[in-house]
Amino acid sequence: MVVFTVRRALRAVLTIWIAVTVTFFLLRLLPGDPTLLVVEGDMTPEMQQALRVQYGLDKPMLTQYWLYLTELVQGNLGTSFRQLQPVTDIIVARLPWTLMLAGSAFVLTILLGIPLGVYAAAHRGRRLDRIVQMFGITGHALFVPSIAILLLVVAGSWMGWFPIGGAIDPDTRGLAAYLSLFHHLALPLFSLVIVQLGPYALTLRTNMLEVLGEDYIKSARGRGLSSRRTLWKHALRNAILPALTLMGLQLGTLVGGAVLTETVFAYPGVGRLIFEAVGQLDYPLLQGAFIMLAITVVVANLITDVVSMLLNPRIRT
Amino acid sequence: MSAPIPETTQAVAVPTAPPSRMDGLRRFVTKPTGALSLAVLLLFVLTGLFGPLFVDRPGGLGTDILQAPSASHWFGTDDLGQDVLAQVVWGTRVSLTVGAAASGLAIVIGTALGLFGAYSRRADAWITTVTDLMLSLPLLPLMIIVTAIAGPSIATLTVVIGLFSWPEVTRLIRSNGMVVVAMPYIDGARALGAGGWRIVTREVLPAVVPLVVVSVLLTAARAVISEAGLSFLGLGDPDSWSWGRIMLNAQRSGVLSTAWWQTLFPSLAILLLVLAATVAGVRFNDTRDPRLKDR
Repeated sequence: MVVFTVRRALRAVLTIWIAVTVTFFLLRLLPGDPTLLVVEGDMTPEMQQALRVQYGLDKPMLTQYWLYLTELVQGNLGTSFRQLQPVTDIIVARLPWTLMLAGSAFVLTILLGIPLGVYAAAHRGRRLDRIVQMFGITGHALFVPSIAILLLVVAGSWMGWFPIGGAIDPDTRGLAAYLSLFHHLALPLFSLVIVQLGPYALTLRTNMLEVLGEDYIKSARGRGLSSRRTLWKHALRNAILPALTLMGLQLGTLVGGAVLTETVFAYPGVGRLIFEAVGQLDYPLLQGAFIMLAITVVVANLITDVVSMLLNPRIRT
Repeated sequence: MSAPIPETTQAVAVPTAPPSRMDGLRRFVTKPTGALSLAVLLLFVLTGLFGPLFVDRPGGLGTDILQAPSASHWFGTDDLGQDVLAQVVWGTRVSLTVGAAASGLAIVIGTALGLFGAYSRRADAWITTVTDLMLSLPLLPLMIIVTAIAGPSIATLTVVIGLFSWPEVTRLIRSNGMVVVAMPYIDGARALGAGGWRIVTREVLPAVVPLVVVSVLLTAARAVISEAGLSFLGLGDPDSWSWGRIMLNAQRSGVLSTAWWQTLFPSLAILLLVLAATVAGVRFNDTRDPRLKDR
């Protein structure tokens, strides 16, 4: 068990290292002098050179790479071109919002997806099953901003049920502040869950159908257990682990979706930060944001793997 | 959940109908979803090819600002008085171009790596590792930085989306290629003295071609979504229209809740095109499976 965790952790570190390395070289091999992006307007060659020295761009690429890595390990992602603050500070201030949004979407999709998938598998051909199948295919065609804008216009502007932007009402305190938090979270959260849920439930339905064909399910039925008990106790138990792993694989997509929803709802997370940084061509900030999101996804995946292992009695000792 | 193929091929009972003599294409079209998805795809291709001949390129300032859909402006107008229908028609061209070209790029890389991995066990360890690694990263933020630095243009979008979309193709082709490689006729080819290159290109590749066709459609569907997403974040080609850019304009000018037509129509275009490509891919996959022939 310890071996498993250590091996997974090593793989996580390797993944992050490769992500960092690929972006580092990709960005430096691409055409375009980043110093030209720092200041608009006229710049003398001496000023450009001074900037290059300041950002270490005059050194050989491998030296730059080594410097970047050593700084990264110490938590330094460089300085933002526009905000002139450490990238790490800017991102760390925004990250909790994205974690909350993506984390709730992760949990809610699982909580809704498992019953939907199990029910659809148990009642094949019924109306809900057909809806799950249809939604499972359609889900691939949903564009996150479309859903987000639809919710914003209908449930936010027209009906006035939910606030249409921001993350919290700054004038609230105590319990009211928590309510305001959830109130603001609702629409961005629903946008993500709507897009994820269909394909997720459909895959779970397929897994469940396989489980329901297994011998131990037939023997449970044969021993006279009610079909409801067989389904929700015996079969579900074996379907939950793949369900968790499957959602773990979707984390990257989920974070991508969060970038888009945050942009629509002006939610103050890393996604909205990326949108703003794109407009300002603030590329240390973009690179830092990607690295932080990659680390988040990889660590979340690691946690998912370890939790699955702890839940799995075949590995647990 | 990456590609909806396994779900549809596995979850179906096998009917005991007599085998039909219909060929693949007819079987594909006789299902209403197959015919409909092809018709929708064709409609989009025709719009992309010939639409701009009939509709003026949107630009400049108009006098009818933020008009709701009417007889003179079917899809309404935006805050500059430009016709949204014209923007959607011109955007069709970009979405189709980027979708098709990026999908082509991803298919070539993905198929080559997938076949290579299926055939060579030594390469397989590396290819699987890299594929899993790519799939576990948040690809949209990665595409955002690369596009931002390379400078947004249709070519950049195509290359970036293509370069980051191959892993799912690789996974699909590799897992099916493994089944083919284990078949006796491959051993036969080897016994006859065929080299690795010949076996992969002449024996294994033809066996996975139907799956490649499915991948083209599904990858193109995802590429259209990625293009729309990047354009929506402001990384589209600044000189050409795109569905994502129309929605970004609505967001930027703060008319999301009033000018619903400015986001609804590009959204519908994305939904229809991507859905048609996905359904066509899934239908094609089902028709090529003889067990599902007469469903």
